[in-house]
Amino acid sequence: MIFSPLTILWALPIVGGFLALALRSGKRAGVFSIALSLISLAFCALLPWREGAALAVTGPAWAYGIHYALSMDGLSWVMCLLNAFLTVIALVSSLGEERSAGYWAAFLFLEGALMGVFLASDLFLFYVFWEVVLIPMFFIIGLWGSANRKHAAVKFFLFTFFGSVLMLLGILALVTLRHRATGVWSWDMQGLQGVATGPAAWAIFAALTVGFGVKVPIVPLHTWLPDAHTEAPAAGSIMLAGVMLKMGVYGFLRIAIPIFPHLSWRLLPWLAAIAAINIIYGAFCALAQSDLKRLVAYSSIAHLGFCLVGVFSRTVEGLAGGTLQLINHGLTTGALFLMVGILYERSHKRGIRDFGALFGQAPWLTFFFSFSIMASIGLPGLNGFVGEFMSLAGAARVLPILAVAGVAGVTLAAAYALPAYQLVFWGDRGPSSVSSHVTDLTVREQALLWVLCLGMLYIGLHPSGLLSVITPATKGLAL
Amino acid sequence: MSAAAVGGLLAPQMVLAAGLLGVLGAGMAAFSPKFIKSLMILAILGAFALAFGAHPGAGDALVGLDGLGFSWQLVFYAAALPLAFLMVAESEVAPALVLGSLLGLGILAVSANLLMLFIGLELMSLPAYLLVARSRGGAKTSVEAAIKYFFAGGAAGGLFLLGLALYYFTQKTMSFAGPGGFGAEAGIALMGSAALFKIGAFPLHFWLPDVYEASDPELTGFLSTALKAGGVLLLMRLAALSPAGAFSRALPWFGAATMIFGAVLALKQERLQRLLAYSSMAHAGNIILGVGAWAALGASPAAAVAVFFYLAAYLFMNNGAFSFLKATGAKTRADLHGLGARNPKAAAAFAVLLLALGGVPPTAGFLAKLLIFWAAFKAHLYIPLLLAALGALLALGYYLALLKDLYFEDAPAQAPALEPGRGLAVLWTCAVPAAVLGVAPWVLTYMSRLLAL
Repeated sequence: MIFSPLTILWALPIVGGFLALALRSGKRAGVFSIALSLISLAFCALLPWREGAALAVTGPAWAYGIHYALSMDGLSWVMCLLNAFLTVIALVSSLGEERSAGYWAAFLFLEGALMGVFLASDLFLFYVFWEVVLIPMFFIIGLWGSANRKHAAVKFFLFTFFGSVLMLLGILALVTLRHRATGVWSWDMQGLQGVATGPAAWAIFAALTVGFGVKVPIVPLHTWLPDAHTEAPAAGSIMLAGVMLKMGVYGFLRIAIPIFPHLSWRLLPWLAAIAAINIIYGAFCALAQSDLKRLVAYSSIAHLGFCLVGVFSRTVEGLAGGTLQLINHGLTTGALFLMVGILYERSHKRGIRDFGALFGQAPWLTFFFSFSIMASIGLPGLNGFVGEFMSLAGAARVLPILAVAGVAGVTLAAAYALPAYQLVFWGDRGPSSVSSHVTDLTVREQALLWVLCLGMLYIGLHPSGLLSVITPATKGLAL
Repeated sequence: MSAAAVGGLLAPQMVLAAGLLGVLGAGMAAFSPKFIKSLMILAILGAFALAFGAHPGAGDALVGLDGLGFSWQLVFYAAALPLAFLMVAESEVAPALVLGSLLGLGILAVSANLLMLFIGLELMSLPAYLLVARSRGGAKTSVEAAIKYFFAGGAAGGLFLLGLALYYFTQKTMSFAGPGGFGAEAGIALMGSAALFKIGAFPLHFWLPDVYEASDPELTGFLSTALKAGGVLLLMRLAALSPAGAFSRALPWFGAATMIFGAVLALKQERLQRLLAYSSMAHAGNIILGVGAWAALGASPAAAVAVFFYLAAYLFMNNGAFSFLKATGAKTRADLHGLGARNPKAAAAFAVLLLALGGVPPTAGFLAKLLIFWAAFKAHLYIPLLLAALGALLALGYYLALLKDLYFEDAPAQAPALEPGRGLAVLWTCAVPAAVLGVAPWVLTYMSRLLAL
């Protein structure tokens, strides 16, 4: 049956997006969208899924073995939950500004399409959702972004489309090769293991790696990211960093590694090198930034490197830690982008040296920023530590040098994050400082940040809650 | 086969011919232009209905209807409807020319013989030259473009005849089933170049940008969908004569070159119709690649679904885009600035069409490209396939640029007034199928059934 809870999970936001457009007035659409996103969050949280994909839908075959097929396991569930949760945060954080109905609708479309990506178990459907995600984000960046938004939006779309086209060729190759081997046309994600051998396998794996890698993003396919993250409105950056980057790692977990378990293991040194370069390169780039938002953007490249380290290590703890780190990064970077957005909204500046001594002016902001920065650099007791530790522990078992690079990355994270934090909140105010424009958080903003920071604390103190959901879904990939 | 049965095959063509005579007669009897236009629309609708209800059959030595001809006829008549609705008809001349061109396309569809193909080819083209010359009130540039078009078309016709002569000389027949051999290959190559001329494939495209730019927008829509589909059918008939021949094997490369060339040049255009002209070259490249893959896979009519779907999707996408130009009067990219805010409904429809033309899921354009790529993959055409992927990326570049103009650029302080025409209804009628056909793969099952008739 097509009509199942899973269909509702992705279709509800999309239908809601059209309704929000129909409301016309930005105010009404905003209230409606937030209500709808809360409903979808509750719906997602309460879904009665069970491990082993008990919750799955397969529609009738369309043509050429294309099915409408969705399924949900622990991995899908946490990603959907993250998506629904950050959508609520992003939408509520936008309440302060006058926004048109289209703005709210775009976020709902984005949420629905992302749900589809995390639910699809048919490659055709997966690709459709994967691409549809680009459309609302293109408009979010291009219409509501800051000064250089037009360039950033087009660059973002073209870069990811480049990866997607290669990925599509890879998918087509897999489907065609399966047909040659079995005589059956099918786009099912399952059962593709072993259909490609020899050079074809290498080529397909490379195409998939580029396709997913653009999204992660892996260096050197990352150049769209700083522009897109910096130019997007704060809520857009939250969704971009919080959920959309995760699509890439999800693709590795869901498609590339399950289909090529041996090849991806043989390529471990190369994949590990990619992850290590991400960590070190992202950190060094972040070190060189004078724009606070750009700094957070580059730090995302480094953080996603940790996720890749864990995933590529193919150990139980590495896979679970890498996946957990996806959630962690969503919370911490979401909070950081939210606060940088608040600073920008009040002062129209983002430079690290444009501020100084914010502590006295905005104690709550200082508190939450300190909290999030600590989580981001991996302070024990908060979420980042758990994810990074598990990823590196996994890496240390298979490739110790990778763990060494990771630890260097942890140190570098402190090196780029703390000085910036120190300058903005405790440093001296320069002659051009705009700190005096910054007022403290409103109740609404505090509420959002409480939720995010309590989430970080919860995962830090009780990681087994989420890990008990993630591990069963990812341990099958461990060697 | 009896004469009556052949007559049954030709029912749509007879309706078109009757409509043509009726339009001319009504013009002489000084009926109102409105009436004449309605008569034309009625004739096209009638032809479509009859074509839809036709029963394919072998016919005689000259005409016959197979699944390919059956399906293509539907594309031809449907692609003429936007022009029929949007054209400005002050007299009987333009409607008569449209019906004449359609009659040529109809003959092309039922041809079972190379000579009939030639007649169809010429009959579809001759009225088109005149329609181009009459565009924009007979402006100088339009007449110039028409002359260019005429000479290019004449050269194509000459090539076709030359190839036909060679074919007949070596094969002793003008039917599709000759014994083959070098003479046949050479003849097919010459006739095939005529088809490539008509489609506007690189390097035989030089007439295309000028003609597409100088015509009225709705006419360009017709030229780039209906007449192009005619050229594609011609190409497929010729490729099917020798699916593994040199000409068929060269087609994917022509396709890839056309695509890259059109896409690169479209990137640089400021004038919208010229941009869409080059972009239609890029699409033609995809289609030619699809024909090449189809031939490499054995050229069975039922396997032509990729090309058929592409043309059907393109019919909506491109006619929609040109009816947007007609409806808003936009001529340059600067005219688009801020249109998203000034004219949100038309802009939204155009945005959908642009995404479809760019091949972004879930639109029809995506599925169309996917099917072509897939066919190329099955036919082991890996390098043309990679070039096509590159072309798709380049193409997205200019469609996104147009989206950027529509929504992200602010309108200039004193925006030049546009001259909006009619066409919003046609625009939406085209935009909706372009938007949703991509997630309706069951359409493909239906199309395969039609092709296998």
